[in-house]
Amino acid sequence: MNIVQIGTFLAAPFAASLILTGIHAYLGVHVVERGVIFVDLSLAQIAALGATIALLLPFSSGDPHGPEVYWVSLAFTFIGAAIFSLVRGHHSRIPQEAIIGISYAVASAAAILAMSKSTSQAEHLNHMLVGNIIAVSWHEVFKTAGLYGVVGLFHFLFRRQFLAISLHAEEPERTGLNVRFWDFLFYASFGFVVTSSVAIAGVLLVFCYLIVPSVAAMLYAETIGARLAIGWVMGTVVSAAGVYLSVVLDLPTGATIVCTFGAVLILMWLARPLIRPQRAPA
Amino acid sequence: MLAPAPEAAAAVRVVTTTEDLASIVREVGGDRVTVEAIASGRQDPHFVEPKPSFILKLNKAELLVIVGRELENAWLPPLITQSRNARIQPGNPGYLDASQNVKILDLPTGAITRAMGDVHPQGNPHYWLDPGNGRRIAQTVQARLAQLAPADAEYFAQRTADFVKRVTEAEGRWKAALAPYKGLKVVTYHRSWSNFADGFGLDVIGYVEPKPGIPPSPAHTLALIQEMKAQNVKIILVEPYFDLKTPTAIARDTGAKVVVLPPSVGGAPGATDYLRLFDYDIKLLTDAIRESAAR
Repeated sequence: MNIVQIGTFLAAPFAASLILTGIHAYLGVHVVERGVIFVDLSLAQIAALGATIALLLPFSSGDPHGPEVYWVSLAFTFIGAAIFSLVRGHHSRIPQEAIIGISYAVASAAAILAMSKSTSQAEHLNHMLVGNIIAVSWHEVFKTAGLYGVVGLFHFLFRRQFLAISLHAEEPERTGLNVRFWDFLFYASFGFVVTSSVAIAGVLLVFCYLIVPSVAAMLYAETIGARLAIGWVMGTVVSAAGVYLSVVLDLPTGATIVCTFGAVLILMWLARPLIRPQRAPA
Repeated sequence: MLAPAPEAAAAVRVVTTTEDLASIVREVGGDRVTVEAIASGRQDPHFVEPKPSFILKLNKAELLVIVGRELENAWLPPLITQSRNARIQPGNPGYLDASQNVKILDLPTGAITRAMGDVHPQGNPHYWLDPGNGRRIAQTVQARLAQLAPADAEYFAQRTADFVKRVTEAEGRWKAALAPYKGLKVVTYHRSWSNFADGFGLDVIGYVEPKPGIPPSPAHTLALIQEMKAQNVKIILVEPYFDLKTPTAIARDTGAKVVVLPPSVGGAPGATDYLRLFDYDIKLLTDAIRESAAR
């Protein structure tokens, strides 16, 4: 196969993967710090449930990519964000991860029930809501870059608040910061990003972009800045390697990137004792 | 764009979505075309995981032939857009929907309501499993190839006539093999066999899967089992890419036989082209019917 030639077709998927790296490696630091690893799967599923229900409503044109479906799905994402910010688990006996898991299971099952009531396209719906990174267009790349740029700027301007509620929730409460409000803003912007990302890259790939760079960075660094830098470099290298492997081996691109993430994480873990000798136990 | 010169002797590069269409294009185009299929015969053509090579194939294609009727809707449209190939965009001469002249079953009549259950607004997309439609697809492909390579029009016409003749002869043989079982009641997993049943006189009385992709409800499965017992149905046809758990459980309860029948060329080692697909399926089916009758 002609790699140069096919490279021109994979330029858009590669650009998309860089955008995913940029925003998700950052959000991943928050998610890992908060210990809400599966929140993205849960919010993506809640958004999918919203899209499925929207398709059943008389006002939707039946087009899974139409504006009605998008807005209903976004509304569901915000409802999910509200639920997660209300059940924040620092004082509660019930772990937040349990609520996230329950939301995921119920939203998945409710989507199946909704689909069983649809008149047509039930068989396609699942697949239409979940994107495939190889089929991403330049139009989607630019649109996503713009949207994520806005979300990124928002998080940069309010980084003090966002980092405070993710890293030590008890302190800001004492200093008068409205934790529930900022939690909601976090989950709402996070849900917005995840829903858009799943629509272009699929659930598995988005999960990896979110969690793996952050976890890999924790092997080597403690400060947020260093972790972000390591996460971004890792995400970029893995994206390039994954896209390249998918071309030379002619494998589905998204799944190849996911497995490359796994392999690189193992390599980084194995290399850790060589690069960073274990400190004496405290 | 320039019109192709009439003396251009280079083979037309054709890409099809399924192996069935590839086989028919090969019959019509002979050595004046090169044909590649995107989905293998073992895959469910509703869901195909895109690979980088698909986009490359589409980029080079001069003619893309699709099954249509929404069969490929879940995966093909973005790949066509991404192929950066103006020739094969919908509406252009390099884009051919093979379903335009075929006999389509399960077309909804009147307004579609939710009470009708799963409905394809454009009818059943598994139409190639009827030899009559095989002939019609070949004629549709012939007309388009003649338009793209006018110098070879006569050649395509001859090959199509020959293919149509062979299909018609074989159809007589296939119908004779199934004639003793005319009106035989069967259950199928997916709604893939409507045209096949229509062409060969089988009677599909129900589906294991009430709606594609949705697990059957207990009530549906129980009703199906009762219906099969009441009508003495002994054959369950399952496409190779579906799970056999539910069909096997139903078969256990009803004494029916589960037959894994490939609906596409390449879906089984023997089914290497359009004619051999029917040879293979009809042999498998008649063997299974005889076996279930002997039990």
